[in-house]
Amino acid sequence: MIEKTPSSKRPIWTGRLTIGLVNLPLKLFPMIHNKAISFRFLHKIDGHPLKYQKVCTKDDKVVPWDEVAKGYEVSKNMYVMLEPKELEAIKPESNKKIRIAKFVDYLSVDPIYYNKSYILMPDNSKEAYSLLLTSLQKKGKAAVGKITLRTKEYPVLVHAYKGALVLTTIRYSYDVANPQEFKELKTLEKPEKTQLEIANKIIQDLSDEFEINEFEDQYKKKAEQLIQQKLKGQTIKVEEPQKEEAKELMVALRETLKQLQNK
Amino acid sequence: MSEELTKVRFTNLNKIIFPQEKITKKQLIKYYIKIAPKILPILKNRALVLNRFPNGINKNGFYEKNAAKGTPVWVKTTKITSKTGKTKTNYIICNDLDTLIWIANLASIEMHMPLSTIDKLEKPDFIFFDIDPEPPATIKEASTVSLLLRDKLKKIGFKSYIKTSGKKGLHILIPIKPNKSFKLARKFVHKIGIELSKENHKIVSELSETKKPGKIFVDYLQNAQGRTIASPYSLRANPKAVVSTPLEWSEIQKGIKPSQFNINTVIKREKTPWKNILNNKQEF
Repeated sequence: MIEKTPSSKRPIWTGRLTIGLVNLPLKLFPMIHNKAISFRFLHKIDGHPLKYQKVCTKDDKVVPWDEVAKGYEVSKNMYVMLEPKELEAIKPESNKKIRIAKFVDYLSVDPIYYNKSYILMPDNSKEAYSLLLTSLQKKGKAAVGKITLRTKEYPVLVHAYKGALVLTTIRYSYDVANPQEFKELKTLEKPEKTQLEIANKIIQDLSDEFEINEFEDQYKKKAEQLIQQKLKGQTIKVEEPQKEEAKELMVALRETLKQLQNK
Repeated sequence: MSEELTKVRFTNLNKIIFPQEKITKKQLIKYYIKIAPKILPILKNRALVLNRFPNGINKNGFYEKNAAKGTPVWVKTTKITSKTGKTKTNYIICNDLDTLIWIANLASIEMHMPLSTIDKLEKPDFIFFDIDPEPPATIKEASTVSLLLRDKLKKIGFKSYIKTSGKKGLHILIPIKPNKSFKLARKFVHKIGIELSKENHKIVSELSETKKPGKIFVDYLQNAQGRTIASPYSLRANPKAVVSTPLEWSEIQKGIKPSQFNINTVIKREKTPWKNILNNKQEF
């Protein structure tokens, strides 16, 4: 696979960051890529990919798209059906703005709340970009604000990372469970002093810098090896749909199928 | 997604199979699609032998008994142990349109079928007379002999059906209830052949006499378990893509040329001379 340089990629969002009366035009690029290995479901018998279909639970019949609506389950098996129009009306307005409300210490935000990060690039605004980046770096601060991406509104942090401004969407507090809800924690006993000293010693001995490159997905690695081996031997070749040249045969087939049915 | 009319994925459709007539594999497949309503009932539950010509009839073809590797799982097959018990063969059974199309897509020009079905392998459901003219005898003489044979069979109470072999001869079949042995059928056909040869000096009933010029051999030898005949409506691997075609007796009386029944003409025929053959199984 050929990796494009980010600058040649298309931004997923363009707009401006606003702090009071100050505007900073920006472009937003994806930063997080899931490179885990993914598979498709195939039909074991003939090797062809499977597709998903929406099937009605009442009669098990396939439902065409224009008959699909959204519903909210208010109680078991009770739904409020919502029209696309109605949902459209309440969509948050994508106003192309990252509205900054305040600045906080970057490290004061618990990483538990980090959702997804994006790279921000200047959009004909290098000077202002550089100014904001440098000041955030120096103070170790992050700007807190809101952004609307597609149909959802997210709280965000804008902070410095490896010489760039990075936007990280933040989870809502209700999306993160409080561990204190577990009863087990209420009955924890305080450790004895001597044991604590031993534990401290062990931790100290094993202390090191965090090195992300030490980690590698062994499953992905083995799966790729397996695929390579299979490629050399036998693979399942997916046949393409019938070509144009088979058209004449399809006409004949239709006639014959009709005749056979009428028998 | 477009509807799936067949499970078969067509390959090499533009490959020339009959070079003289520039007939492609596409036309071969089309023929079998069109003839399906007529050929499928007869092929039903018979262990087929295919005669394949992947590179056209001017290159070597081969007979295929054993379902090849890569045969889709939806193609019905049946394992039959040879009479000697030494070999097991996995035969193809063609009971549906998809299988017929799949066979055609293998560039299988000829379909050969046994005279018994898989549920009663040792009991024939057809008695088979192969009327084989030795040049200079032609289809004309074969037709004369066939008509004599028809009359003889009629006298002893059998309704018989005729088809061209697709080559130079004619095939006559009597559909019977599958409750007698192949040996009996063979003896019967041989006996009729001997009787005919006594009535007409051009007719021979013994294999040893077949190569005598101008003779017409009434071949009884195919009436045996495991032997096959060109199935009705099978194409034959000859330059004009001739079809082994079921005919009315009146057509034989008027006189025919085998090559008039070919890949192009047979699908247009409105006559269905063998329409009731499977409903007319006679007590033998």
